[in-house]
Amino acid sequence: MEALVENDDPRVPVTILTGFLGSGKTTLLNRILSEQHGKRIAVIENEFGEVGVDQELVIGAEEEIFEMNNGCICCTVRGDLIRILGNLMKRRDKFDYILIETTGMADPGPVAQTFFVDDEMQTKLRLDGIVTLVDAKHVWLHLDTSNEVKEQIAFADVLVLNKTDLVTNDELEKLESRVRAMNRAAKICRSLNAEVEIANVLNVGGFNLGRAMEVDPKFMEPEYPFEWRGVYTLPSGRYTYCLKRGPDPAMNIALLPVGNVRTHNAQASVMDAVLLFSEDAIAVSPNETIRPGRQLHRLALTEDSQNFTFAVDAPGAYALYTQHKPEEFQAALFSDSSMACPVEEKDFKPDHEHDDEVSSVGITTPGDLDKKKFNKWMSELLRNQGTDIFRMKGVLSLKGEDNRFVFQGVHMLFDGRPDRPWREEERHNQLIFIGRNLDRARLKEGFHSCLA
Amino acid sequence: MPGVAQQAIPAAHNLPERWSAVMDDCVVSIAWSPDGEHLSAASASGSVCIVNVESGSLERSFQAHDFGATSVKWRPASEEIATAGQDGRIRLWNPHSGELLHELDGGSAWVEHLAWSSSGTHLASAAGGKLRLWNPNGSLAREYPQHPNTIAAIAWRPNASELASACYGQIQIWRPDSDQPEKALQWKGSMLALAWSPDGQYLCHGNQDATVHFWIVRSAKELQMWGYPTKVRELAWDRRSRYLATGGGSQITVWDCSGRGPANTKPIVLKYHEDLLSQLVYQRNGPLLASGCIGGRIAIWEGKNRQPLFTAAMPSAIAQLAWSGDGTRLCVGCEDGTLTVLETSESPAAARR
Repeated sequence: MEALVENDDPRVPVTILTGFLGSGKTTLLNRILSEQHGKRIAVIENEFGEVGVDQELVIGAEEEIFEMNNGCICCTVRGDLIRILGNLMKRRDKFDYILIETTGMADPGPVAQTFFVDDEMQTKLRLDGIVTLVDAKHVWLHLDTSNEVKEQIAFADVLVLNKTDLVTNDELEKLESRVRAMNRAAKICRSLNAEVEIANVLNVGGFNLGRAMEVDPKFMEPEYPFEWRGVYTLPSGRYTYCLKRGPDPAMNIALLPVGNVRTHNAQASVMDAVLLFSEDAIAVSPNETIRPGRQLHRLALTEDSQNFTFAVDAPGAYALYTQHKPEEFQAALFSDSSMACPVEEKDFKPDHEHDDEVSSVGITTPGDLDKKKFNKWMSELLRNQGTDIFRMKGVLSLKGEDNRFVFQGVHMLFDGRPDRPWREEERHNQLIFIGRNLDRARLKEGFHSCLA
Repeated sequence: MPGVAQQAIPAAHNLPERWSAVMDDCVVSIAWSPDGEHLSAASASGSVCIVNVESGSLERSFQAHDFGATSVKWRPASEEIATAGQDGRIRLWNPHSGELLHELDGGSAWVEHLAWSSSGTHLASAAGGKLRLWNPNGSLAREYPQHPNTIAAIAWRPNASELASACYGQIQIWRPDSDQPEKALQWKGSMLALAWSPDGQYLCHGNQDATVHFWIVRSAKELQMWGYPTKVRELAWDRRSRYLATGGGSQITVWDCSGRGPANTKPIVLKYHEDLLSQLVYQRNGPLLASGCIGGRIAIWEGKNRQPLFTAAMPSAIAQLAWSGDGTRLCVGCEDGTLTVLETSESPAAARR
């Protein structure tokens, strides 16, 4: 049903391409144009790069940022886009698609807000999504220092980690978990030379209210109580787990048998571990022995260096979950004198020192909301923190309403409406905020106070 | 192919239609010849046509600009038209022969605005942040200092050699004989349209933020009108400088500027259109106001009367409306290329006038 509505939408879809200089925007643009051959695509460019765009209709425009102050709502919009798109939409031979390529230093906020504040644009155009290209290698030079890079990642509906050939798989994993923590709502794809499936970047419905919560399952990824997992293949025997002094005087670990290393169900194992980490841990002192199984252990790490013993009775694959990253304690597992290396490892959180100022806060809660309380909370939130909230979307269960209420927003601009009726599934509220300096605990507390 | 083709369209209700034609794309600009015998119209595809008004016959049609035309303006008291386009060019033509007289460089990718001074001695063009003043012989009379943003509107003060330009943040008033603005009116916002009152006392602008702003030019005093549902691009002054009709939604809001002015007064609201307004224009020498909306409806209003005198329906969104100089005919340009002339001469209102 929802797909039908989208196909019937007579409005011309618009995709915004952002990304730092050299991230591959023009390559992706040319790829789209060549693969969508036969469709009429207009391209609006804010900078002419070294690589030309292979298309007849390319409109160059200088970014013009206009502030709009309407009552208590302030926002910035892109005057050049209103003008150019308004002009383009007069033409009879309408376009099938419009692509807007921003400059490398552009803040996507004003571009997105432009589509919210102008009625003419809303009746003729449909903002489909923001696609951000990330140079997998060079983005690290800017990720901590450039607000633009952070904003481009935070605003994205689709993040394309490009130029994957320049980095190792581990580096790519690290980058993915870092950007994932900043923007949990975005689809992430990896590419070499900006080779991505067109379906992954066009018609993604990023601003479609009906599809507000139809995102990657990772979107609601819980905050894991552990930061690392290593899977080891261990013959039966005794192993020594050595740790040096680290940032914490104690650490929780679990050692879970996972059967065969090839067939083990990683997702089930993670859920097992999440449950386990919520249970009580037994304290373990150095030189004590730990046996694999459903038990959380709390290792005392007060010495400069300490060893623990793992006693493995049955050979097989074992997953070691640790509350902190092994490198923080120089942790390693030895059998006799040789080091046992994990056959597979995974980080569950980006590095702590990169507790980014840009992050996502997801809230999932059963129960019905009190409309009045919610409105009051939301308008206060947007008034006080609107400039720091880049994007938000959600599905709400309002008390007394049979239909879902869906909403989305960009900064202070809020757009919501009743959606289809709740199905048999349990009514619940699900929302996500992506922004700067978000206070997770306060947002959750505030939202919970709106429950009826 | 550019040009017009005769085509039957549903008859307008109430207002007699003289003839109708179809251009190859959305009609983006219309200009009557000074004697009212010819019409020029420009389309979004870049074609321009010249029509004999009496017979409705197409006198000439040519591709004036490569990408799209933005404006066509008939030089006052002359047989010459100026066109501007998204190819960065301004062209002066003999409308009857189609001969290109002069080709001028607007200075930026899209030339979006053209305006002849009331005497026809200067042509002003705006492209991006460039404001240029031309002599009718095609020579550059003056290039004004670069505007910090794209020029959104230009307008000559009636019967004066003063040209107002609006871009984000300010309006400047220029004279042909100086590089320096005679006056700068600062307003932090995005302006979309400028309108001088015929007596030159008020300068108004409609804005992206759904407001209308009045300047009393002599004192640089300002007034702001807000509460519009959407951005305001439609502004029209009546001939006596009393009423300012404004759009910014589906209803027409008319401010009465007589007496102490419109401050703290309640405007007259004219309701007929169900869709967003796209055009508002008063007769130059008569009392009638024509309104058009994106739903293809046209209404003709007189004074404070809250009922339209006449209405008409067109096959697509109204893109342009222009009264003939004597006010007996209304030319309508539509988004689908329809170009029509409606007669108002036999109407009771015209008789009353």
